[in-house]
Amino acid sequence: MGEQFVLLISAAIFCVGTAGFVIRKNPLIMFMSVELMLNSVNFLLVTYSSFLNSLDGQIFALMIMAVAAAEVVVGLAIILTIFRTRHDMDVDHIDVLKG
Amino acid sequence: MFASSWLILFFPLLGFIGLSWYGNRLSKKLAGLIGCGTVGASFFMTLVTLSNLLFLPAEERVGQVQTLYQWMSAGSFKLNLAILVDPLSVFMFLIVTGVGFVIHVYSVGYMHDDPEYSRFFSYLNLFIFSMLLLVAAADFFFLIVGWALVGLASYLLIGFWREKTSAVLAARKAFVMNVIGDVGMVIAAFAIFESFGTLNFVDVFVAAPGMFRPNDDTVLLITLLLLVGAFAKSAQLPLHTWLPDAMEGPTPVSALIHAATMVTAGVYLVARCHVLYELVPYTMYFIAGVGILTAVFAGSMALVQYDIKRVIAYSTMSQLGYMFLAVGIGVYSLGMFHLMTHAFFKALLFLAAGSVIHSLDGEQDIRKMGGLQRVMPLTHATFLIGALALAGFPLTSGYFSKEAIILSSYHAEMGNFVFWAIAVLTAGMTAFYIFRVYFYTFVGGLRSPGAHPHESPMIMVVPLAVLAVLALLGGLLGPWVDSFLSPVFGRVVEHHHDGALETIALVAGIGGIATAGLLYMVSKDRMDLIKEAMAPIYDLLFHKYYVDEIYDFLIVSPTKAIGAFLEQKAEREGIDFVVDEVGLQVKEVSRGISLWQSGKVRTYALNMIVGMVTILLFVVFM
Amino acid sequence: MLEIATVFDFTRDAVIFAVGVTAVLASLGVILCSSPIYSALYLIGHMICLALLFLLYNAEFLAVVQIIVYAGAVMILFLFIIALLGGKKEVQENSFHRSIAITFVFILLGELCLSATVGPTKQVQGEIPADLFGTAKAIGLELFSKHLVAFELASGLLLVAAVGVICLAKFSFAPLRRRVR
Repeated sequence: MGEQFVLLISAAIFCVGTAGFVIRKNPLIMFMSVELMLNSVNFLLVTYSSFLNSLDGQIFALMIMAVAAAEVVVGLAIILTIFRTRHDMDVDHIDVLKG
Repeated sequence: MFASSWLILFFPLLGFIGLSWYGNRLSKKLAGLIGCGTVGASFFMTLVTLSNLLFLPAEERVGQVQTLYQWMSAGSFKLNLAILVDPLSVFMFLIVTGVGFVIHVYSVGYMHDDPEYSRFFSYLNLFIFSMLLLVAAADFFFLIVGWALVGLASYLLIGFWREKTSAVLAARKAFVMNVIGDVGMVIAAFAIFESFGTLNFVDVFVAAPGMFRPNDDTVLLITLLLLVGAFAKSAQLPLHTWLPDAMEGPTPVSALIHAATMVTAGVYLVARCHVLYELVPYTMYFIAGVGILTAVFAGSMALVQYDIKRVIAYSTMSQLGYMFLAVGIGVYSLGMFHLMTHAFFKALLFLAAGSVIHSLDGEQDIRKMGGLQRVMPLTHATFLIGALALAGFPLTSGYFSKEAIILSSYHAEMGNFVFWAIAVLTAGMTAFYIFRVYFYTFVGGLRSPGAHPHESPMIMVVPLAVLAVLALLGGLLGPWVDSFLSPVFGRVVEHHHDGALETIALVAGIGGIATAGLLYMVSKDRMDLIKEAMAPIYDLLFHKYYVDEIYDFLIVSPTKAIGAFLEQKAEREGIDFVVDEVGLQVKEVSRGISLWQSGKVRTYALNMIVGMVTILLFVVFM
Repeated sequence: MLEIATVFDFTRDAVIFAVGVTAVLASLGVILCSSPIYSALYLIGHMICLALLFLLYNAEFLAVVQIIVYAGAVMILFLFIIALLGGKKEVQENSFHRSIAITFVFILLGELCLSATVGPTKQVQGEIPADLFGTAKAIGLELFSKHLVAFELASGLLLVAAVGVICLAKFSFAPLRRRVR
């Protein structure tokens, strides 16, 4: 029972994160949806490390957290740079590469 | 021993390359010197080779092949860059380089005022090289290479004056007809390779008699295809229409190419491949028939032409017919002897005519000439000698060679009465037309009032004199030619002496001369009466039997129409349309697809999700 | 540790169920709120739920790291940026794009749930004593022996990120043209 539940929860959080990324226009909320997706994978890794009795899963999750932290930092710096001088927080208006 | 013979070919090639690259930086004198010098050096090397050849006893003179290196080797097929030094090729070398040298010297004077002087000499050298390659080739491959190169040189030289439209068209016509001949030769080469497995002359001719019965289909095909090439090059029926138009080129060109050397390539070919031709007597009769027909055909057309060069051109066609008659009957060395004497007196006639044209500032119509014997005595004397030789007046070289052929046309194994009769008729016509020209040009009063004719400079007259001497004394070389060429042809030709026939031929010749004289002396009205009486025939002859018009109607116009149709339908609307549409449609499709790239991050993310979902579908369910 | 857990198996399962459902609801809250500040707060709540779940699955080191690093540092950073850039409430409009997205996400959910049909997992014979499982000591032992390269690379990655951010932040640029859409 435990395994199936874990899988379902993880799938649900991942899909919520995906939906959030595609639906919302505010870049910060999109970024938070990405964090959701990462979290769901972390959760899955940790629980399976427990089921499999191997620490590799937890170490992988640790690495993901490190990467996520670095990614958040750089991503927010970029968002800051782009949206500091704009009036609106709308990702759809950044379409200079159209064509 | 004969390795030095390569120099014979090498000098003119060097001259061509040097003059074509550096020609316009050289002074005219230097260019002319180089142009003549190379051919002179070739002639000298020919004499050296000749003496080397004469050292050997007669049986050993055949089949001396000098190989430079092995050019191609594919399986069992080997092709060497090689020349064949035997009496026949050395004979042709002598004629090509000797007469060629004389004509080169003449051109120094004739083309002196032309701005493109060095280009002319470079082309002439190219021609000499190509002709030498043709006669020196040791296999069919290089024969065809030389054949094609000679056609090229002819094209370049006929169309030498590029601004003259008629010259350019004539050059194109000559080239197209030559190419028709080339195609026949190439197919013949394929057939030879298929039957014999090799293209070497020596190997083919040694193997041929053993492999085929007489009149075998394969050999018949090969020889007929070779004849297509020979007839195209030598302007025999039906591929003759290019030769009169080729007179648009400068006169030395006409002398060299269209009298002495290139047009004789067909005769040389038949003589060289005599082994093959002797296997198919049908073809030999065919050759003799076509030859004699062309002779009388051309002779009849020459009776009414007014352009001095054209008359001499038709005369060339006619005399080539005689040569083909000779090789068709089987008396090869007589044909080659006539080739030699013809080279002498025809080149002489052309050069003398050139001298006349040069002094009258380009006038070529004999109706506007006359009385030049007083003003240009040397030209007059040499032209007269040439005309006598052509007509077969006794003791000139032409007499010996022509008489021999006419006699053989009756007495040889394959000769018969019809051949003989037509030959005699043609001899009479020949005498008539050439003396018609002589009387129009040199006798009486000058008919173009504004001209100031003068004797040509020495540099043009000396070659005329040299050729005149050869035309007079060339007949003495007859027996020597026979014995020299006998190792190649396998036997010495027997000379018949039939008093009755000889006399008849002689009478025909002198009768022709007399008729020309008489007609000339007759007053204008009688001439007009005669002309009116024979008006239909006159028209036919004057328009060259309308052969050009027939060809145009049957072949040229349909081909042009087909070409135009294909260009419009197949090329423009078909291929171009499809290719353009492909490009346009790709552009349209990509324009449509590019709308998908909206630049928005969320859209891209959605695309990714859709893709991921699809892949998962495949992964999970299949 | 495990013995206590088996005694309280039912309790443990119930707690896992509850916390899991809370986590999902919190994530729904993240994406459905109109104000970014509320979304950030929901996300912090979601992370705390996950930390609890980590604890329940014997990964105490990771649970603490989740709270300190993730919920602590990263989310605070988020909140700072929200404060800097303005947390205006956003108007949600329904569009074709949104409908397609939701459709595909549901299909994705269905496919991912198919993974639940996979059978039970087998335990791996490991050399870690059971009571040390998930502790800092065990993770440290693993990290510095088996996964040393990954560890070093991760530290390099963090350094690069730091340098990158400094470059970005010190970037002097001309103000963008205001574009009114």
